Amino acid sequence: MKKVIMVSILGLSMTIAQNVIPTGAELVEKMSEVMSQENSTAIMTQTITTSSGKQRTFEFEMFTSGEGEKTLMRYLKPSAARGQAFLMLNNADDIWTYFPRTKRVRKLSSSSKNQKVQGSDFSFEDMGSGDSWKTEYDSENLGEEKYDGTDCWKLESIGILEENPSYPKMVVFMRKADFYPIKIDYFDENDFIEKTLLMSDIKEIEGVPTAMGMIMKNHLEGTETTMQTLSTTYSWEPPENFFTERELKK
Amino acid sequence: MIKKTFLILLPIFLFGQSNFFGYYEGEFDQLKFANQTYNYGYNKLRLDFEVHPDDAITIGANINIQKYNDNISWNLLDFLPSDVWKPIFQPIIFPEEMWITEFPIALSDTFYLDNVYLKAGFEKFDLTVGKQQISLGTGYAWNPIDIFNSKQLLDPTYEQTGVNAVRAELPIQGRTSLDVVLSPGKDWKESAKMLQLKTGLGRFDVHGTVGQYTWNRMVFDPQLFLPSIQKDERTLFGGAIVGEIAGAGIWIEGAWNQLENQDNFAEVVVGTDYTFENGLYIIMEYLRNENGISSKENLDINNYLQYFMGETHSLMQDYLFGYLSYPINDFIQFGLLGFGNLNDNSAALNPQISWNLFQDVDLTMMYSHFIGNDNTEFGVQDWGWRIRLRGYF
Repeated sequence: MKKVIMVSILGLSMTIAQNVIPTGAELVEKMSEVMSQENSTAIMTQTITTSSGKQRTFEFEMFTSGEGEKTLMRYLKPSAARGQAFLMLNNADDIWTYFPRTKRVRKLSSSSKNQKVQGSDFSFEDMGSGDSWKTEYDSENLGEEKYDGTDCWKLESIGILEENPSYPKMVVFMRKADFYPIKIDYFDENDFIEKTLLMSDIKEIEGVPTAMGMIMKNHLEGTETTMQTLSTTYSWEPPENFFTERELKK
Repeated sequence: MIKKTFLILLPIFLFGQSNFFGYYEGEFDQLKFANQTYNYGYNKLRLDFEVHPDDAITIGANINIQKYNDNISWNLLDFLPSDVWKPIFQPIIFPEEMWITEFPIALSDTFYLDNVYLKAGFEKFDLTVGKQQISLGTGYAWNPIDIFNSKQLLDPTYEQTGVNAVRAELPIQGRTSLDVVLSPGKDWKESAKMLQLKTGLGRFDVHGTVGQYTWNRMVFDPQLFLPSIQKDERTLFGGAIVGEIAGAGIWIEGAWNQLENQDNFAEVVVGTDYTFENGLYIIMEYLRNENGISSKENLDINNYLQYFMGETHSLMQDYLFGYLSYPINDFIQFGLLGFGNLNDNSAALNPQISWNLFQDVDLTMMYSHFIGNDNTEFGVQDWGWRIRLRGYF
């Protein structure tokens, strides 16, 4: 009898737990846990499509550490961009770029962090900011909603002005099952959707859900950038002093 | 010699796992000055090789082949204000029949090995031996601490020629590193020695540089009517700081130069840049070079020769440089480049369009308008334009 009561209590508490609606901050925390691995390395392609349908394709390698707080990107293709590299520290607050043709390293000012990387629809901050979501935005859970047939939590994040966020507002659809975001709308100051990021082909890589495909659509300019992950691993350990000018120039 | 070197290197690049890359560049320029219009253009092939016989070793080289569209000969005197060259080439004590009106300079086709080096990555440092590109300093248009190069104001980001040197780059910790360069000369005294310590202070990068070398400068001997080389021992104490204030990038780069035979001088660059939300990018720099001449009345032919040869960073003392760019779309960019000589009040304005025609193919079109009196640095020219097509492979 006692067992029946215990099982009933346990079942009841699980039902309550399932029905507890997470707060916005909790959702951001869960999403960060899934998205921001301690270290990672990947080789990716990036295809930019203009409003007239013209395309440019780039291939780059990317290394991250400290849950995305440090990022190093190096272009492998095409020939015009080969060897050009970016080092982003402190969630892309500090950016250095290396030009292999002149062998020069330049420090970029933070006013450039929301600019396009190689003309793509991804900004430096999109590529290099790790947990800025936690510190630069106030988030609210807007409840459950289906997106593309998937049960999602809908999260609204409003930028904290003093923290100088890149976007005034973002709305995220994240899968209820694993808190993985599958759609993010980025809003401008006039509350229009400026860009939309769509995640696709989500696979488990070393136990971590990973979007092998991403499309960033720029609604204001009619352009889009597709990113495809060719290979990735989370078990990479950065050598000592990896995120420095020495590695940038390699 | 170059062909021999190339033949020696060829098997390494053919049988090692080599990367071949580079670019084709075709350029056409037209310049109007001294009541004449000059056309010139060239086709250039830069071929880079890179092999990695070991993970830690890189052997690299590049060959440049540049062929001009025609046999081009310039009259150097057209580039100089008449009051600079007339006292030498047309002295009033000589009869007019003996006056010289031309000092031709021919642009001839070139085929040269620009860089050839071996880079070894050790655990604690990187060592590069051979002819290599060494670009020092943080300034965009000028670099007072760069003892190896001088930039072209019309194209400050163009690659620079290699320097024969041994270079060791030693990361110490985090953003702190030491850079040691030795460029061998005829003897130790004539060899260029440079030591640079870099570190990070919060959001700022700080460099300190010490350099010593024999400064070769061209001087014109009016008796022999030939240029000769004047040597001077130069010791440079330099530094730079780069960071940002309120989102705008700022940098200061300066050097104090001690000379054995001439007056010591200071050279400093102050710059700022900012990128606006809409993609508009603006950069400004001011140069103060005490080695330059303060007044155009004091300029002589040697000042021009040394500047044209890249032995000094500027002709006069005070300059302003500015550049803005705006992306019209993802592939077309408008730019406006301007620079001015604040001592003789001459300037150049250069609107330009850069168009990424295809993947790996860029087209740049630039117009130059020169402002100032005929006896000024930039005012001696009237206008010019340039079309440059570059295809990477």
